[in-house]
Amino acid sequence: MSAASLVMRSELRAMLRNRTALAGIVLVAMLALVSTVVSWHHMRGAEEYRARQQAAAQEAFDTQPDRHPHRVVHYGHFVYRLPSALAAFDAGVDPFTGSSMFLEGHRQNTANFGDVMQGSVLTRFGKLTPAFVLQVLAPLVLVFLGHGLLAQERERGTLRQLMLQGAPLRAIVSGKLAALSGIALLFMLPAFAGLAAMAAAPGASPGVAVVLMLGYALYLGLWCVLVAAVSSLVARRRDALLALVAVWALSVLLVPRVAPDLAYAAYPLPDRLQTDVGIAADLRRIGDSHDPDDPYFAGFKREVLQRHGVDRIEDLPVNYKGLVAVEGERLTSGLFDRYAARSADIQHAQNRLVAFFSALSPTIALRQLSMAAAATDLSAHLRFLEQAEAHRYRMVQQLNQLQADGVSYADDTARDADADRRKRVDSTHWQQIPPFRFEPASARVLLGALLPGTLVLLAWLLAASALLVLAARRLEVAR
Amino acid sequence: MSLWRLELALLLRSRIALAGLLLLALLSVVSLLSGVHRIDSQRAAIDRIEALQRTDMAAVVAAHGDSTDAGSAAYYSFHPTWNPPSPLAFAAVGMRDVAPFMLRVRALGLEAQIHDGDIFNPELALAGRFDYAFLLVFLLPLFVIVLFHDLRSAETESGRERMLHALPAGAGRVYLRRGLVRVLAVLACVGLPFVAVALHQGVAPSLLLAVLGLATAYVLFWAALALLVARLGWSSATNAATLATAWVAIALVLPALAHVAIERAIPVGQGAEIARAQREAVNGAWDIPREHTMQRFYARYPEWSDSAPLGTDFHYKWYLAFHQNGDDSVALEAGAYRDGIERRSRAAERLGWLLPPVGMQVLLTRWAGTDMQAHLAYQDRIRDYHGQLRRFYYGYLFGDRPFTGEDFDKAPRFDPE
Repeated sequence: MSAASLVMRSELRAMLRNRTALAGIVLVAMLALVSTVVSWHHMRGAEEYRARQQAAAQEAFDTQPDRHPHRVVHYGHFVYRLPSALAAFDAGVDPFTGSSMFLEGHRQNTANFGDVMQGSVLTRFGKLTPAFVLQVLAPLVLVFLGHGLLAQERERGTLRQLMLQGAPLRAIVSGKLAALSGIALLFMLPAFAGLAAMAAAPGASPGVAVVLMLGYALYLGLWCVLVAAVSSLVARRRDALLALVAVWALSVLLVPRVAPDLAYAAYPLPDRLQTDVGIAADLRRIGDSHDPDDPYFAGFKREVLQRHGVDRIEDLPVNYKGLVAVEGERLTSGLFDRYAARSADIQHAQNRLVAFFSALSPTIALRQLSMAAAATDLSAHLRFLEQAEAHRYRMVQQLNQLQADGVSYADDTARDADADRRKRVDSTHWQQIPPFRFEPASARVLLGALLPGTLVLLAWLLAASALLVLAARRLEVAR
Repeated sequence: MSLWRLELALLLRSRIALAGLLLLALLSVVSLLSGVHRIDSQRAAIDRIEALQRTDMAAVVAAHGDSTDAGSAAYYSFHPTWNPPSPLAFAAVGMRDVAPFMLRVRALGLEAQIHDGDIFNPELALAGRFDYAFLLVFLLPLFVIVLFHDLRSAETESGRERMLHALPAGAGRVYLRRGLVRVLAVLACVGLPFVAVALHQGVAPSLLLAVLGLATAYVLFWAALALLVARLGWSSATNAATLATAWVAIALVLPALAHVAIERAIPVGQGAEIARAQREAVNGAWDIPREHTMQRFYARYPEWSDSAPLGTDFHYKWYLAFHQNGDDSVALEAGAYRDGIERRSRAAERLGWLLPPVGMQVLLTRWAGTDMQAHLAYQDRIRDYHGQLRRFYYGYLFGDRPFTGEDFDKAPRFDPE
């Protein structure tokens, strides 16, 4: 048996014999397990609930009575975002963004009813997910377990004894590192087992799950190496502990909070009130379809009459009011898209600035990687908003076209007592509108998005390893 | 007196202690400035409302001012509401970074409007704010642990403990004095910057003292815990590890577990369901005889029942009546939804008695007016204001009075207090 594996075994034995250490190990492993089960259960519940609501909304939409198509434009539709396959591993922004959205004509609504608006202050203390356990708690417990790896041997003077017995310093350090890494592996196992089960579900990508696991392995590996390095560098066990807890607080607590505040200040995001007033003003500049003298719609009318070779809108083969509705929606939607794209750009810029801080805190790199892999990050949320908006536009335009083709202009403008009945179109039309289906990003796109974060974590691991090598050399000299 | 000065000198001579205290003071300043910046940007947004609103209303009046129809005025006019931050809000941003603090409403169905959120980057919100509350709740205990974990064990490890016990007054007094000096040093680092910023922000003196008192109690809790652990007579390293473990449990793990438990124990009917029910009620009105809608409306609001009957044409009386009916039809569910959220908040508040970090967060956000209760109170004010708006427009509409261009300006204005 090599010296390194002997050291590893004796280190592990010592940890398991120490009641405090054992309690810490069992506690984190348990938390990883409990959080996996609880989070999985919660997400399944949310998924079932949202699917049920979506079905009910679809049912209500399909079974509407005969109506004027424009009524249906205002009746609108509710769409729900189902949790992604890996959302139970890392809930990401899911509790903060709404999971449902109301789609209607002329308006772009926000996604509403996020968990954070339906819960208590505790939401802000962090959600108990495997990601939280591995990102926040596991490194700290590794610090508790490992800060004495070499510092303790030095403090007690047993390091010299070990080396006098012929164990090369390299073997001692690598053996101790291996022992700590074994513990880290123990923390990851329950969460990874859960992750594997989630990745086996239809719609999930095993490749993404593997990269996600790799990311966490790099992260916890990096902490093990860092702990060993600081434990070799600092002569006293107490000082090693304080230094490592400080590094942990900085990297896990402080920088991940300071960076977003800086990003918020650096890239101001227009608020909704500003945006709504801006859109309304832009819309007035383009044209008002209700105003008979409006220059834009006067031109539109001329163009429509010309195209059909008639002089009066009453003579058109289609309902002019429907055509105006189509054109009006095209104009407003163009504005919505432009404002939404600008807001999305700013938010992405904010996140890029935060990503920059992964040079100070590997936790930021892992957090962004983890959310991206679980499809619970900003990009996934914006993707939902974009697809919901595209669906809204298709639905509204289909209804507007139905007004143009299915309701005659004469009926549409009639005001007699029976007019209301004649304006309505047959209810079978509602079922012809395709239901909303969210298309998640492909595995290839996700893997591409995960690459930078993986590289940053790798770089951190390499830097920590270099520090450990340096620290070990100093130990050798100090001997 | 000289003994106290000596303790202070001893404290400041330790490099770790001095670095820790300086860092704590620096972080206090940064967290305060960060909170002030956030709240200032919200104040600026609220200050912008007036100008934006003036432009928007001018355009609405220009487009619909001649119609004399109070219904169309009600349909096209958005009325701003806002929730101004309290002077102390900078210290605990709380819900204010996710809950909307500005909302424009129309005199149509409120349930479809009141839950609209503002635009925010959810990833930034997820991270949480680096505000003074965060510094106190999460970081301060770590500094207390650094300063207190070896209060006694350092003496044991350096072999001075026996000597201290030989003192006429005993070692207890030395430790007490030492502990007190360290508590005061920590409090000075977090308290002085806070007092300066709070005075600048116009926080009431009583509230300022209350926050300082709370911070003192919190520091004393962690110091007492450290002294309790010190009595066990372990080494400095073991003390530090034990205290940090306690911190992890009390500040991170237990609140997260409690969160799961509370969500399970107090189910809140999802708001989306209410919004859907309201939509069904509102849109269903187009498919039932208009008289049914009007009868239901007049039965509930007899003060308008003398209004002239509807003709065959579209009329806003009917339109606004079915919006009102839609809200009324889900009033019970909406009330239950609000109660459920409030019950969850109260449960978390009670938990604050058991878990000091939760209690700190609860009290700070309560005093700063940035907790869920404050947001619910804002929603109550919106409901109240929306009722005023409805009565204003109904007066013209159901009184069959013309609504002229000048009347736009007479609409009630939101009072944030």
